[in-house]
Amino acid sequence: MQKRSFIGNYASIKRSKLSYSWDKAKRMKVCYLFLAPYAILFFTFFILPICTSIFYSFTSYNILEKPQLVGFKNYINLILQDEVFLTAVKNTFVIAVVTGPIGYMLSFMFAWFINELPKWVRAIAVVVFYAPSIAGNAYSIFSVIFRGDAYGYLNSILLDLGIIDAPRLWLSNPDYIMTVLIIVILWMSMGTGFLSFVAGFQGIDKSMYEAGYVDGVRNRWQELYHITLPSMKPMLLFGAIMSITSAFNVSDVPRALAGYPSTDYAARTVVTHLFDYGFSRFEMGYASAIATMLFLVMILCKKVITNALSKVGT
Amino acid sequence: MSEKNLTRYVGTMKTSETAKIPGELLLEESRAVFMSHRGAQVASFALNDIAKLRHTRHGGLRATLLINLTSGEEYSFTLERGVPAYDYINRHWETRPHEEKNRADELRRLAELRGERIEKPQKLSEGRKKKFRIAAVILILFTVALDTGLVAKLFDYILTGVSYFVRILTPARNAVRDAFVYYESSNLAKTIANLVLIVAIFVLLSFSFKRRHPNRSVGGDLGIYFLLVFMGCLMVFPLVFAVSSSLKPLDELFRFPPTVFPRHPTFDNFSDLLVTMGQSWVPFSRYLVNTFAITFFGTFGHLIIASMAAFVLAKYDFPGGKTFFGIVTTALMFSGYVTGIPNYVIMNKLGMIDTYWALLLPAFAAPIGLFMMKQFMEGLPTALIEAAHIDGAGEFRIFWSIVMPNVKPAWLTVIIFSVQSLWGTSASTVIYSEAKKTLVYALQQIQAGGIARTGQAAAVTVVVMIVPIIIFIFSQSRILETMASSGIKD
Repeated sequence: MQKRSFIGNYASIKRSKLSYSWDKAKRMKVCYLFLAPYAILFFTFFILPICTSIFYSFTSYNILEKPQLVGFKNYINLILQDEVFLTAVKNTFVIAVVTGPIGYMLSFMFAWFINELPKWVRAIAVVVFYAPSIAGNAYSIFSVIFRGDAYGYLNSILLDLGIIDAPRLWLSNPDYIMTVLIIVILWMSMGTGFLSFVAGFQGIDKSMYEAGYVDGVRNRWQELYHITLPSMKPMLLFGAIMSITSAFNVSDVPRALAGYPSTDYAARTVVTHLFDYGFSRFEMGYASAIATMLFLVMILCKKVITNALSKVGT
Repeated sequence: MSEKNLTRYVGTMKTSETAKIPGELLLEESRAVFMSHRGAQVASFALNDIAKLRHTRHGGLRATLLINLTSGEEYSFTLERGVPAYDYINRHWETRPHEEKNRADELRRLAELRGERIEKPQKLSEGRKKKFRIAAVILILFTVALDTGLVAKLFDYILTGVSYFVRILTPARNAVRDAFVYYESSNLAKTIANLVLIVAIFVLLSFSFKRRHPNRSVGGDLGIYFLLVFMGCLMVFPLVFAVSSSLKPLDELFRFPPTVFPRHPTFDNFSDLLVTMGQSWVPFSRYLVNTFAITFFGTFGHLIIASMAAFVLAKYDFPGGKTFFGIVTTALMFSGYVTGIPNYVIMNKLGMIDTYWALLLPAFAAPIGLFMMKQFMEGLPTALIEAAHIDGAGEFRIFWSIVMPNVKPAWLTVIIFSVQSLWGTSASTVIYSEAKKTLVYALQQIQAGGIARTGQAAAVTVVVMIVPIIIFIFSQSRILETMASSGIKD
């Protein structure tokens, strides 16, 4: 009886629901007032750019003249004709696949290791591991360490040890550039996600570990799997998003170390390619097409990771 | 009650299934009193009257304490800093029965009833801890002595003295001398020796401070310590190298083989930097003031605007709020370059190119600050806000005088993320008047000056990196407190 009347009145319920939320919105107008300054700026500088970027990607636009609609031409050129873009995609993919997961795991592993240290040692360790990611352009010091002549630190050590017999051009030989870049990016990979992990470990109830021990958790791996990971899920997701973000947005490091443009485009990433077309050649339509593809890939990655992490520890 | 030994814990007391009274739990020596915000004394009992004490944690330091008194009364307090309150009561509750301490103890008791025995985590005796610490100090002194060459000299003197009397020891003395000469000349030997010594010091110190878990293997611990020290050295090396390069005089910068530490450290590179900057047609101080102003105003505005939005998103359920936050979480993923081109076009339309608004306004709306703030504010007890509502405070009063003072740890987190990005901004795409350029832009020009400016470039790197690192060092504990609530719940 009740069920039937519910189905019968579904439409009116839906309508009343709508008017209910309208009423609620009116009652809560002060909330919108508080949200307004942020929301306006956020829409102007984050959402609007994404929408216009999607629009420009279907046009030919150089800022001076009016954009002209060209349909999918930018995308077709990008995928079928632009060989440098394919190199950039390959490089970004390699960097993302290598540094994303490895950086993520390193962050987690070291947060886990330092968790059991005495408090003051932990404080020092957090600074040591986190400092590279906030140290501005400190990565430029790697251009001295990896310098191509014998004054370069790495070259001199390897020469000293007799491993190489002539200095190697670490930053201009296409064979080495990617390896060097990956090392430097890994060095900087313990960022916000790492901090989140450290704090997450601290927030776990200590008596759960003791109880786990009494219940028969025999070593640190079992403890990690059965107690720690399930309590860390929200941090794991946040850390994953942060590490995809940094892995896909790599552009400053290659430009500072390998030069811009780099030898044979060996250090070109999607974002440097975008920078090249956007800010050096002013082909905004083409650059927007690159940006749009990057958005799509990142949103897809976020979906995949959210799904994967929802299964952790269950 | 004297104010002196009093500790206050803000939170709520549950009086029935639905009603809660906001107020403060005051703990003094051996008594507990719950005062409501209106000033009424709602509950008062001696800690020794407690029969049973339990607590459930809600993330961070928040916890609910469930207290049963011997007289049969039952209290439930949800406190902002419930974990320290629980610790306090546990410490001052003299009649506490031991087995009630936690679940582990309960399980242990049950196991004993079954006739099994489960050992407790063993604690090192104070005497052994002291020995470990003394050994660590000796090792530290030894490492310093080894690296400064004192050990070599000492051995040389002793062996020379002894071999003066016992001729047969002369070859031994020479061998030691050669060994140290080799050691001095080989970077590899030095690195390895220092690494081993540092690990040893680390192991000794941590054994002396830490309570060992019984289900940890010693081998595993040693492996972890070694990995930590090794990776720590690798991580810190480039930063140390940057600092030491900035202190090297020119001839040492191009020395073969290159050294890590300067033989004759000088501040020449920094003073040269000032000279070079002094010659540019915009004075150095101008760049500095620009960057300071951008960093200060950008961070300040971001803090206020993002906190206002975070407050309503965290504490009110209004149509569209959740969707908006979802969009912000997705926007965490987009870097400045990706939105850079359309942003330039938009700013151009708004007439903001070559003004600081082009830097400040996007910085005000940075997603990471809102995200952190909102997650942290969710931990604030809703009762606090409800109580203020009942007292007739307006939304803005509540935000300004109740919410903001209670989220101070989150301020620092928002500040460090904002300072880090604004301090490092070169703004080359939106600002083109020389007088408006930022410090980092000017410094990058110097860095681009090629090989002749290597020393100054290193000095530049140090100037740019030191500010965020120092802020982080001083605000670390607060930042970690905020990050505890950073997770994304799906």
